[in-house]
Amino acid sequence: MFESWQLLAQGLAAASQPTVLAAIMVGAIIGLFIGALPGLGPTAGVAILLPVAVSFDGTAAIAALGAVYYGAQYGGAVTAILLGIPGDASATMTVIDGHKMARNGKAGAALGLSIAASFIGGLIGLVLLTAFATTIAKAAIAFGPIEMTALMVFSLSLVSVLGGRDLNKAMISLFLGLFIGTIGLDPMVGLPRFDFGEVRLFDGIEFSIIAVGLFGLAEMYATPPSTGAHDDSGRFRFRELLPDVRSTLQCWRELGSGSLIGFFVGILPGAGATAATMISYAFAKRTSKHPERFGNGAMEGVAAPEAANNSAAYGNMIPMFALGIPGSGTTAVLMGGLLMIGLQPGPMLFQTQSEFVWTIFGSFYIGNLALVAITILLTPILASCAFVRPSYLFPAVIAIIAFGIYGINNAMFEVVLVIGFGLLGYLMMKLDYPPVPLVLGMILGPILERGIRRTLVASDGDLSVFFRSPIAIGIIVVTVVLLVSPWLVSQRTRRRAAAIAK
Amino acid sequence: MERLKTRNGLKRRALLAYGATLLALQPMLSMTAQAQDYPAETMNYVVAFGVGGGSDIIARTMAKVIDDKKLIPVKMLVENRPGGSGAIGYSFINAQKGNPYYLGGVGVSFFTTPLLGKMPLSHRDFTPLAAIARSPYILAVTADSDIKTIDDIKTATGLTIGTAGAVSDPALLAHLLNKELGASIKVVPFDGEGEVMAAVLGKHLDLLFGNPNEILEQVNAGTMRALAVTSAERMTSLPDVPSFSELGHDIVHTQLRGIIMPKDVPAEAVTYWEGVLKTVAESPEWRAQYVDRFNEIPLFLNSREFGEEIVATSARYEALMRELELIK
Repeated sequence: MFESWQLLAQGLAAASQPTVLAAIMVGAIIGLFIGALPGLGPTAGVAILLPVAVSFDGTAAIAALGAVYYGAQYGGAVTAILLGIPGDASATMTVIDGHKMARNGKAGAALGLSIAASFIGGLIGLVLLTAFATTIAKAAIAFGPIEMTALMVFSLSLVSVLGGRDLNKAMISLFLGLFIGTIGLDPMVGLPRFDFGEVRLFDGIEFSIIAVGLFGLAEMYATPPSTGAHDDSGRFRFRELLPDVRSTLQCWRELGSGSLIGFFVGILPGAGATAATMISYAFAKRTSKHPERFGNGAMEGVAAPEAANNSAAYGNMIPMFALGIPGSGTTAVLMGGLLMIGLQPGPMLFQTQSEFVWTIFGSFYIGNLALVAITILLTPILASCAFVRPSYLFPAVIAIIAFGIYGINNAMFEVVLVIGFGLLGYLMMKLDYPPVPLVLGMILGPILERGIRRTLVASDGDLSVFFRSPIAIGIIVVTVVLLVSPWLVSQRTRRRAAAIAK
Repeated sequence: MERLKTRNGLKRRALLAYGATLLALQPMLSMTAQAQDYPAETMNYVVAFGVGGGSDIIARTMAKVIDDKKLIPVKMLVENRPGGSGAIGYSFINAQKGNPYYLGGVGVSFFTTPLLGKMPLSHRDFTPLAAIARSPYILAVTADSDIKTIDDIKTATGLTIGTAGAVSDPALLAHLLNKELGASIKVVPFDGEGEVMAAVLGKHLDLLFGNPNEILEQVNAGTMRALAVTSAERMTSLPDVPSFSELGHDIVHTQLRGIIMPKDVPAEAVTYWEGVLKTVAESPEWRAQYVDRFNEIPLFLNSREFGEEIVATSARYEALMRELELIK
């Protein structure tokens, strides 16, 4: 392990060459903007820059592409907090409390917190990546279809924590999400499902379309242009635009747990950063002394998911660097970049291209520091968005959304879809159906389906295999505890109350 | 307009210089003139899949080689039009009917998406130009697996094989393997090659058919063992690994890296690109930057030969999909 740090020191030195530094800065800034742009996330960002980047020197190219990836994680939070629109999928959970904070006049504090959380999550993820990449990669592949199924059952049970007040409505929203997740080509058979004769639905519905419609457009539809919560430009106070250091430090527990959960869920191939943010948010809410504050602008509700999605980005890279396996869409594109510059990611990469790998890791540390500086400087300017009248702000934002969504596949079809999901979100808001369970179902449902069906094909339909994996059993036990414990606790308090009454 | 002017100019000069007897040669002359003018505009290579994937890497490497060697007098743009399992990109190319300024690459979805009946096109709606590399598949297991040879597969029970995609080359090969060996290996589809590799390395699956590139990396690292290759002959990079056909199994299936154009393009354009692509396929740059880097097999097939392979491949997929009852 000591050797790792020595190699990292050399890598940091190598990454400080002017060309690499310039590449990091360019990548980080592009990432920041693409992350902030609703509809375009890190995958699109890396894909846009890839053809340009690979024509430069290899190390600089990958440093820039990596910077786009983690830069986008910082940027995603900006739109989530200021406009209530997740800039990318993994910023969805940040909307819940972050946007509430902005509406309560604490936009600066929320942004500052998200920067701190992004940095701390990123740093913890990086340190773990630096120290244990190869060891962790070996553990990650212990997660097969059986274990993944168990993890998804656990994650879906989080609807009990994330679902809001009315469990029936939460379940309806969840099942709607599960249904949306089944649209597209059947993963096991290859036949189209629920495609309504439209080939553009073959690959399913891009998550960012749903997130932007359900959260962003819906809220704008629901805000009357003349009034609205943002209309207090008369009471502009500069202090509110600045980050709040002390309250950020108070969230240390959520920052820590978010980072760790993010990292470990991020490692698992196919699970991803969005699932990590959901689990870490639920964990923070569940272990909080004041769970009622979540959803009403709790700082912890911003800290946990933001730490998680940044940490997950590095967890995600572990299977790629150590095994040559891309664990997500973004790392798949990044791996394409490695191949194009002539490197073969795989178990040999650390040995054969040691200098390259450590320079890249070094560039990640530098890039994170740079992003903190850039975003803190931008915070007051960005936060003043919260004081712009909706009648000026919304048309601009809707134009940006249309642009970003069109950019996914260069097609109007997606723009029409996002408007449709905006209407759905508006209806759900008016009828008091929570949108988060829908997101939960839509993200986790496909992973669950693949897990179950792959397991059952391999076992010839024998269900008992789920109870032969120690990891799966462990996860199932935790799930049962999670579901039953609130009921037990309420029983006990009722009994105690009854005893006191006597 | 440009082209018309030249054609008329030539016609006039021909008349003046050689007299009326040469008039009979006019169509031929105008054809050469057109061939010399082509290409006059930017070439567009449409990739039906996202950036960074296999099809994209081929397109960009090819464009780079053509550009570096200045093989064409115009620019070549690589453009991604992903979506609908290739249907969006291929439909787009098809809509440029007769336009010799659009190119595309052939992937598995080029065959399977039309066969699913969800795209009103088929391989017959495109003009094959040439194939410039060939990629076999390698059947592999983890290094510590009990399966040491193909014969061990016959005797083992309860084996599983992972495939990238439900209808794909590895899936096709997995079903062929079962048929040839009389085995009952369970075929488990995954979303991508990386996921299959992770599941095999994590011992959740026993076998996989992988690209030479990814398998060689694992073999060199000592984590995996190659059992057999699907090319007709052994691969130079894996001299100790037999081919299925030399073991007496009728499993020969490779992926052709081929280039197509829309339907009804002028014959001169096809000839022109056969020439350009032949130069690419035989250039040391292409060998170094693509074929050797990805451990594929060097190859050149002209338009006719490539067209024949396309028909054969489509028939093979059709048979597989009928067997799986995906189409009736």
